Amino acid sequence: MLNAEELKRYDRQIMIPEIGQAGQEKLKEAKVFVAGAGGIGSPVTIYLVAAGVGTIRLADHDRVDVSNLNRQVLHWDEDVGRKKVGSAGEKLRRMNPHVKIETLDETITEENAGALASGCDGIVDAMDNLPTRYILNKAAVDLSIPFFHGAVRGLEGRATTVVPGKSACLRCLYRGPVPQEKFPVLGATPAVIGCIQATEVIKYIVGIGELLINRLLIYDGLNLKFTEFKVNRNPECEHCSRTAKEE
Amino acid sequence: MGVKVNLHLTLRSHANGQETVEVEGKTVGECLRNLVQMFPGLGPNIFDKKGGLNSIVEVYLNLQSAYPNELVKPVKDGDEIHLTMILSGG
Repeated sequence: MLNAEELKRYDRQIMIPEIGQAGQEKLKEAKVFVAGAGGIGSPVTIYLVAAGVGTIRLADHDRVDVSNLNRQVLHWDEDVGRKKVGSAGEKLRRMNPHVKIETLDETITEENAGALASGCDGIVDAMDNLPTRYILNKAAVDLSIPFFHGAVRGLEGRATTVVPGKSACLRCLYRGPVPQEKFPVLGATPAVIGCIQATEVIKYIVGIGELLINRLLIYDGLNLKFTEFKVNRNPECEHCSRTAKEE
Repeated sequence: MGVKVNLHLTLRSHANGQETVEVEGKTVGECLRNLVQMFPGLGPNIFDKKGGLNSIVEVYLNLQSAYPNELVKPVKDGDEIHLTMILSGG
């Protein structure tokens, strides 16, 4: 149940007919695993915490570097050298004391991904590399919880939502290993993509709207264009082919 | 009327800065090979050394994923191909 302070705090979103008080209570009951406290992890957690998602479990193994500060807005100049989960956890708790923030100073691996996300209602992809994204995608499929994918480079970003059994997963599009790089990025790009992911998470929890499933949304910030592509389940997908069902 | 290929931002510098190029071909592969004939600098950015698609390149045909077996997918005049790049940053 929402208390009087929470009803006041969330008044403007409770006013949204699709959300209402019932939707706000669903948000309060939800637990979301956010993998990464960097460029995408910052806006995603800020907006999930501000919206009143009851529990955020945030994992990152890294420390704050001065070169992160152009985009990782949860970390400030004074945080350079701190563990990212410590820096992010502190800000998020101060932002909204009604939200429980669980921080995990962990490297996400094939062995621990399922356990890290266990008990959560969804996994948000806020990683900075593709191999870990596939590990998280597999964990989401195995746990049968949604996976909210986002990725950025420069002024470009992309997002899609995976609902196991209903949609293509990230691995359905796998074309082989991609070389890792030190990627260029404008801070506003992960902000755009992270906000799209946060919107998807909130819609999923409340059970409203049309999710970005079987659709890949590409954001071109240079020309300010959004393009949407239809993506298909791969019947041979090594992650989801056994659980995928015909719609 | 041919097939319109929309080039990803990172490819445009190899095609005189053009965002789209009109090509001829009966399959996605033919269209892309004809594109590379027009702009040889695109070759290593689209194809790998064995002539397959570079693993970082994604192909969409008429706004739908052409994966898998993208290169053999048939196309007709008026069709539109988008070449995009997998992103890994976050």
